[in-house]
Amino acid sequence: MVNKEEKVTAVFAALADPTRRRIVQRLSGQGEIRVTALAKPFHISLPAISRHLRVLESARLIKRQRHGREHLIRSHAAGLEAAQNWIAQCAAGWESGFDTLDELLKTAQQKEKTR
Amino acid sequence: MKSEVKVGDNRLQISRLFDAPRDLVFAYWKEVDRLQQWWGCKDTTKVDCTMDFRVGGFFVCVMQITGAGEFSYKGQYDEIVEPAKIAYHADFGPTTTRVVVEFFEQGAQTKMVLTQAGFPGQSICETVSQGTKESFDKLDSLLASQALERVS
Repeated sequence: MVNKEEKVTAVFAALADPTRRRIVQRLSGQGEIRVTALAKPFHISLPAISRHLRVLESARLIKRQRHGREHLIRSHAAGLEAAQNWIAQCAAGWESGFDTLDELLKTAQQKEKTR
Repeated sequence: MKSEVKVGDNRLQISRLFDAPRDLVFAYWKEVDRLQQWWGCKDTTKVDCTMDFRVGGFFVCVMQITGAGEFSYKGQYDEIVEPAKIAYHADFGPTTTRVVVEFFEQGAQTKMVLTQAGFPGQSICETVSQGTKESFDKLDSLLASQALERVS
């Protein structure tokens, strides 16, 4: 439970940054890509990109493979799962509350009628 | 599913038709004694709320959830239009979200539309939706199966 929560927090924190969101978006539907190639359209320094990649990596949103000096990055879609489940839980939470509310409203109206 | 659920555009929207007049449905959000009776998920055993129902007012709800312990939900009312609309923002799970609830009269019934937006930063939904379609289908089926579980 605690682990799950931490995972969700890490994913949300990682995606809160617009540059990191764009990185994830760019990687989806692509195979492996070199860090230098990935950095090109972002117009920010390589160390800055590296920092973003480290955050994404620890949130398990990307995977990195090292070939000597070259680092290859690819997306790790499964990392989004924890966050998706959290949203689904939100919906399910409301839905079950609404079920209870539905019953309460029925009872409240019946009471009024019999009064 | 009794409610209509939409996920996307950085928000979660749940609509549901209640067989009750609008004033009564609204009262279940306005009065603490009534709110406490239905807030929380199905594993919630006890809800204890304090609320100051006016624009700028705060509310705090402490829920006891089986298997998860105590969970506290704190928020502030941003807009109240009785009996048509309530807007608030709250810390829910790991982030702050904005919730808008609208109440529409439909004859003797009331349609309640709840929109929860502002998942992390600008959006997780946006990123998710541009990711694999597969993952979205999974979310859909997850929502559907959870709905079925509750109906059966």
